[in-house]
Amino acid sequence: MIRADIRTTVGSFDLAVDLAVDREITVLYGHSGAGKTLTLEAIAGLLTPRQGRITLHDRVVFDSSAGVNVPPQRRDLGYLVQSYALFPHLTVAQNIAYGLGHVRRSERRERVESFARMFGVDDLLRRRPARISGGQAQRVALARALVREPRVLLLDEPFAAVDSSNRRTMRRKLRQLAQRLDLSVVMVTHDLTEAYNVGDRLAVIDRGRVLQAGPRDEVFRRPATARAAELLGVQNILPGRVVGSDGDRVRVATGLGMVAARAESRPATDHVRLAVRAEQIILERPDRPSTHRENRFQVTIIDEAAFGFSHTLVVRVDDAASGAPTLEIDVPAHPYQVLNVPARRDWRIHIPPEAVHVIGE
Amino acid sequence: MRRAQSLTWNRLALAASAAILVAFIGIPVGALIARGFIEGDVLAAFRSPVATTALWLSLATSAIAVAVAVVLGTPAAYLLARHAFPGRSIVDTLIDLPVVLPPVVGGLALLVAFGRHGVIGGPLDAAGVDVAFTTGAVVLAQLFVAVPFYIRAARAGFEGVDRRLEAVSATLGASGWRTFRRVTVPLALPSLIGGAVMCWARALGEFGATIMFAGNVFGRTQTMPLAILEAIETDVDAALAIAIVLIVLAFAGLLVFKALARLGGRVL
Repeated sequence: MIRADIRTTVGSFDLAVDLAVDREITVLYGHSGAGKTLTLEAIAGLLTPRQGRITLHDRVVFDSSAGVNVPPQRRDLGYLVQSYALFPHLTVAQNIAYGLGHVRRSERRERVESFARMFGVDDLLRRRPARISGGQAQRVALARALVREPRVLLLDEPFAAVDSSNRRTMRRKLRQLAQRLDLSVVMVTHDLTEAYNVGDRLAVIDRGRVLQAGPRDEVFRRPATARAAELLGVQNILPGRVVGSDGDRVRVATGLGMVAARAESRPATDHVRLAVRAEQIILERPDRPSTHRENRFQVTIIDEAAFGFSHTLVVRVDDAASGAPTLEIDVPAHPYQVLNVPARRDWRIHIPPEAVHVIGE
Repeated sequence: MRRAQSLTWNRLALAASAAILVAFIGIPVGALIARGFIEGDVLAAFRSPVATTALWLSLATSAIAVAVAVVLGTPAAYLLARHAFPGRSIVDTLIDLPVVLPPVVGGLALLVAFGRHGVIGGPLDAAGVDVAFTTGAVVLAQLFVAVPFYIRAARAGFEGVDRRLEAVSATLGASGWRTFRRVTVPLALPSLIGGAVMCWARALGEFGATIMFAGNVFGRTQTMPLAILEAIETDVDAALAIAIVLIVLAFAGLLVFKALARLGGRVL
């Protein structure tokens, strides 16, 4: 369990982060400049926060009120910095062995070789970092960090310098590794897909604050604020007013008309925002009557973009109030072809109430 | 066609001005060496006590000066490269001062400080230690004028070391000292050696501060440049021999420095 509750100022940037990480992979997700790397540096001891407390597996490594500040070399964690920072003057083997100064020579060799094998770099041991690829450098850096058998691993954009074909296998390996070595992993990324693929838990960070943290799906499905929703890639955020609720349905008046949302309870405030992911909106077949009684809208396509595997349609709701936002709808390539979307501009859409997330703020 | 022609003329003009400078430096140096070997008997002069004594004294004093420069200058260079502290720009400027100061002024300043009544020389004199006009003074004079060359190069070398490498070293359990030894120094090594070579070359050629602060005493303070001054009136061949040695050493030093600069660029 890692707990970091810290506050500090770097230049004009204000960082106030409260983060709890368990035995699993927590992804710290946010745009560049959000304070992700600073948070890792503070946990690693490379940056001393102005105030706060950091514990790594029940060991207090920083506590401003008690005057505790364990230096990085005694925090016993692995830190993979951006673009890996292998020592250019040392061979791959020497890089991996670097953190084993306290280990007997014969044992050191054994451990270097076994970790090099584990990461598939055992045939590169005598090379210098300048002579290996980005993906190899990443694996060497991981071996170097993990050969000391830390319980905490910090990863800063670990896949940035790896080509995409290697990324998927590295992600799977990382998850296996975390389990095998019983690691608590904090990984920083600005890539939403990566955050989703790797993380068990997700913390959304923006302008030095953790906006929301929790199990991955929970965070993805229920962004706590409009800004979190925006960062998490929710394309449709509609302001509205709660006008009624019954059972698990909340009725919200929006610029598009009445929208029904599924919610466990009526939100504390009536002024809400509705977050709807573009891929959750359903384009209905025009040749059949709709089976849905709520959240049906007649729309007109006003713009369209293709992204290889899917098409994004920008639509205007026909009966919308003036100034109401447009909606974005993702249609996968196959239904796009079957429905023959380019053939017409007028469509009927359905927004399933369970796909509408109510943000009360 | 006109364009091509003017390009040729441009290149010719460049080559001509470069040739003038090369000749300006090359002809005197070449003439000196030629004169030493053709008209005089330089090889015999190498065996004259004036030349050999000065040679050994120069080598010994400059070696000590460089050693002291490295021992004291390395931490200073690291401090300047890595840490901000009040008065840093003043310290930085002060360290560079001997480079632009006339060496005679440096020698005079040393004399004032280390003389019998000086702020440092006074207490030393009371303890029975003489500094001025000793071999020790030669080393101090060389150190004074030459140490900035080492510090500047070392500082640039340390600044060129990626700080993230030092940070990573710390997260791998290395103490500050181990990081310095295993990461910072090896990566800055070409600059450190290059700086030491330049420092040594400058110390070897030191004249003004030495004659002011240490005098020109045969066997005690008479280094090669001072020996040239004396020998030019009595034994021109010896003066030429010493001059040739100085030219060769300076040339070799520069070659080493440049080779290391290239190496540094490749390794880092």
